[in-house]
Amino acid sequence: MNGALFMHLWRANRGRLLVVSLALLGWGTVLPIIYDAFGAQFRQLFESGAIPSQFAEFGGGDIFSLSGSVAVGFIHPIAVSLSLVFAVGFAAAAIAGERQRGTLEVLLSRPVSRRVIYGTMAVATALFVATTTGALTLGALLGATLTDRTAELGAGNLPLLWLNGVLLFGAFGAVSLAASASFDRLTPAVGVALAFVLGSYFLEVLGSLWPDAAGLRPYSLFHYLDAQADLAGLPAGRDFAVLGAVIAAAVAYALVVFPRRDLAAPA
Amino acid sequence: MALACVAMEAIETRGLTKDYGARRRALRSSHASTPPALADLDIAVHAGEIFGFLGPNGAGKSTTIRLLLGFLHPTAGGATVLGRDIGHDSVGIRREIGYLPGGIAFWDGLTGERVLDELAALSGRPSVLRATLLDRLELSAATLRRPVRDYSRGMRQKVGIIQALQHDPELAILDEPSEGLDPLMQHAFYEILDERRAAGRTIFFSSHVLSEVERVCDRVAIVRAGRLVALEDVHSLLARRKRDVELRTDGPLPELAAVPGLSELHTWPDGHLSARLEGDVGPFLAAIASAHVTDLTIEPARLEDAFLELYQPA
Repeated sequence: MNGALFMHLWRANRGRLLVVSLALLGWGTVLPIIYDAFGAQFRQLFESGAIPSQFAEFGGGDIFSLSGSVAVGFIHPIAVSLSLVFAVGFAAAAIAGERQRGTLEVLLSRPVSRRVIYGTMAVATALFVATTTGALTLGALLGATLTDRTAELGAGNLPLLWLNGVLLFGAFGAVSLAASASFDRLTPAVGVALAFVLGSYFLEVLGSLWPDAAGLRPYSLFHYLDAQADLAGLPAGRDFAVLGAVIAAAVAYALVVFPRRDLAAPA
Repeated sequence: MALACVAMEAIETRGLTKDYGARRRALRSSHASTPPALADLDIAVHAGEIFGFLGPNGAGKSTTIRLLLGFLHPTAGGATVLGRDIGHDSVGIRREIGYLPGGIAFWDGLTGERVLDELAALSGRPSVLRATLLDRLELSAATLRRPVRDYSRGMRQKVGIIQALQHDPELAILDEPSEGLDPLMQHAFYEILDERRAAGRTIFFSSHVLSEVERVCDRVAIVRAGRLVALEDVHSLLARRKRDVELRTDGPLPELAAVPGLSELHTWPDGHLSARLEGDVGPFLAAIASAHVTDLTIEPARLEDAFLELYQPA
């Protein structure tokens, strides 16, 4: 970890971090408000059979509770897209983007090892992901407070939900950063990272909505974000362990590959 | 007992080789002959000198620099920079040096001042020469407050030179440093290099501009297709050059056949003579002293000629 490099990354990203965090805070706040205003109507709609019951399975299988609504909100495309601004956008560009621009040259000409450069970017990724996920979690608390449903949400267990979310998006960040450390150009790094995230999302959605494909869900990292269990104070240790293992594997890969790569002159 | 004092070389390479295709060939058990980017490079750059490193595109200049900085890993051989091994103490090397990459890029959203501040912070050494360099290269405070994206090519190059030298490094490795500078700034830059040399600093200087290498460098190495073809003192290299000589006389031409170093002698009946002269001009001047010379031109020896000669097909 290099303090000067970290401050450089912080200054370059703080504005974007503020905008994304505010957007996630707003999204998180809206979830309990929507549940409070329209939860009963949604239940009637599903019970009328107008919407296939399989759709109620998405995000944990209980969208007719506040915690179930929050769980769906955490893996809703809006929340995922905003969270990926840093988990994929920042992480995949961190090394490959500097390399493509030519600015990695001036960074590497300083007395900073490649492992320290990688480590600093990993810490920055973790901090940004923790902040954006924190904003989303804080939004859920704010929305529950505004609708007077704090106890129903299980607000005391929100730190568990935050940690689970940080591990999920941190895993995507670690994979994206490993891709970034492996390529000289931004496009393949972002491509690999997005393919991993979208493939994971596709498996989770498919497995949730189609019973015959339920066996695919464990192959999706989204499967290991169990917001309802977290909010109930009953987190599955296996979920945390799987996400932690993915992060550890991606970090180990990058720490081996990046220092050993030949960095030829930029084209 | 007298203490033996051995001067440390600023840069010393021993059989330094980089072959990008070696691993691929080994994996495929192939013997296809792709020439290495750099082969068996042996050079020693003395502390306190300005060392020119010449060669056309693809000759191995950038590969050498990147090997010295630890950006590339050698296939064979090794090197030391300021006494530190490139394979084991790359960070230590980069703590002591300044580096100007060819076609340097910065974070375009930052101001010039912020770029210099952040790079100085990453270097971990105070920017003791920044004010002087800004003054010499005529970069004003107002200019430094503008984003780098608004800078011209020459202004970016000035910022690049300053970031490489602002912490007064023991060794500066400069890749095409005068690229984009106007003639006035080139002159100011050469003076800066002279001052750094006078202060005991070492400059490793890669360039295509032979006139500037001739102007500022003490010694030069010339590489061709990844191999060292010449490593010599600039003055010695020039002294061995054949120079064009033109002589006009008002009367009979002097007898010059016996003048050492004179070749390709052509004479005309109107008292005009042309030849090529290598080495000392003294015997030639002595030989023409008795003639009634109306015009004499001895072209100065140029590094460009030496360079082109080394690059002629064998």
